[in-house]
Amino acid sequence: MAFKPYPEWTTVSGLTWFPQNPTLQNFEFLLYGEAEGLVVSLDKTVGGALVSSLVTATLGTLIAVVCGTLASYGVVRFKKAESLPLSVLQLRLFPPLAVMIPVMVMWSFLEAVDTWWGLSLIYGIVTLPFAFWLMKTFFEEVPIEIEEAAFVCGCSYWRVFYKITLPIVKPGIATSTLFVFILNWSDYLLALLLTQKEWITLPVYMATLTSAMGGQMYGMKAALGLIAAIPPIIFGLMIQKHLVRGLTFGALKQ
Amino acid sequence: MNTLRKIGNDSEALGKLFVLPTIILLIFIVVFPFFMQVYLSITYWTPLDGIPWYQAYEVVAWHDQYLYILEDDRVWGALWRTMLIVFFAVPIQFLLGMGLAYLFIDKFPGRKIFYSIMLTPMMVVPAVVGLMFYLLFQGTGPVNDHIGLPSDFSWLTDVNRAMITIIVADVWQWTPLMFLILLSGMLGVPNDQILAAKILGGSDLQNFFKIILPRMKGVIVIAIVLRVVECFKIFDLNFIMTKGGPGVETETISVFLYKLTFGEFEWSYVAAIGLTVLIVLSIIAAKGLAYFAKQES
Repeated sequence: MAFKPYPEWTTVSGLTWFPQNPTLQNFEFLLYGEAEGLVVSLDKTVGGALVSSLVTATLGTLIAVVCGTLASYGVVRFKKAESLPLSVLQLRLFPPLAVMIPVMVMWSFLEAVDTWWGLSLIYGIVTLPFAFWLMKTFFEEVPIEIEEAAFVCGCSYWRVFYKITLPIVKPGIATSTLFVFILNWSDYLLALLLTQKEWITLPVYMATLTSAMGGQMYGMKAALGLIAAIPPIIFGLMIQKHLVRGLTFGALKQ
Repeated sequence: MNTLRKIGNDSEALGKLFVLPTIILLIFIVVFPFFMQVYLSITYWTPLDGIPWYQAYEVVAWHDQYLYILEDDRVWGALWRTMLIVFFAVPIQFLLGMGLAYLFIDKFPGRKIFYSIMLTPMMVVPAVVGLMFYLLFQGTGPVNDHIGLPSDFSWLTDVNRAMITIIVADVWQWTPLMFLILLSGMLGVPNDQILAAKILGGSDLQNFFKIILPRMKGVIVIAIVLRVVECFKIFDLNFIMTKGGPGVETETISVFLYKLTFGEFEWSYVAAIGLTVLIVLSIIAAKGLAYFAKQES
């Protein structure tokens, strides 16, 4: 549908599986706000939403993975904060809307609504449990003997972590990063609640498109859906092997 | 670990340093907001009042908001519909996922490609899935066209049909998850046991129910719990496809709370409902965890 020109969108001309006259018109329209043969134009093109999605999802992922990695190492090796795993898990249990009111009040108090850092911060926090639990399973697989050997050779703790353990769990970190990025990229609700105009993300932009344009621009919506859907699918296929582990918080390994 | 302990006290300090960022974030996002939520839920405060939230005590309501929940049909309706979606979608996903996983146990040509294709729906952004099904189920959309229904036969504006559409969309998106988890469980069942049973004359059906299924108990529980928890939160699909409409007839808890937040700005009431949901779910979760701990010991 994303490649169909305007007249082929509805049954009026008879629906077909494949576009009869494939066109890139829809993408063009999204990028430049107008396209040949279309009377309507767009006052806000997809570029802004794309940038905003990229920036917030990346920063959110960074926060989640860095904090999650450090914390899970602390829990696994130093036996600190034994109750942390469960309390982190609880973050995922509740419907976000049930707990969003105070967060929204806080965010507007901190003037973080509709800013890149406000949205990134909340993304980082809500996906932290995934990063934490995923990294926990990877750290648990690192044999402690390797680390002990390094201590005996006189390495400091920080150096052991930095030079020995981190390189071992590198694939784990890559997996967590991609996984968390998919989650952040997919989010709709949080962006809907915490952004208004400047920093709306792709899914929100997609949903508001109907009202922004006259009528139901199915072709554009389909094109936009395609743009939004592609990165997670690619990343997802890249980490296929570890998906089970990620989605079950490390309860299952494949 | 022993060696680590012996080396010195600085491991204590460093360990704390490792968990510190997460703990700060947790306090920031759990502790403050929780007290704020309790506080707001006993007032009539809304952001339209023109007073900042910390002065909400001026419009204190005590337990009125909570009493109101009991009488509010919309809350119970939304809860009932959320349950309904969970009740239909999760078992369907489970059965489909189980069947598909069973098919994928043996090797067949193209297994890898089919496996990748199977996983794709799960990775599509939920909002896009909502949009996709919204487009598919339009009056003039492909679904009506292909099964030969007239274009005024509407899926999304009729209460029952809209619910069916939402469930179908949810099943489409999340069956892969069930499939993925169940398959990894099924592959974990030792092959020699199945072979032994086969030699002793067990049929495939018997094998499945007597050997594979009991061994997958843990995996099945995990898969179902995960889906129930996630399904209970359903928002994107529902909101994009029907906006809870017609009227309030397809509202789930999340959509209802959203509309209350931005449509009617009843923030303190939302806080009260949210807190109630929170407490109920916490009790269930605590019970569930206790049950798991018992099973394991």
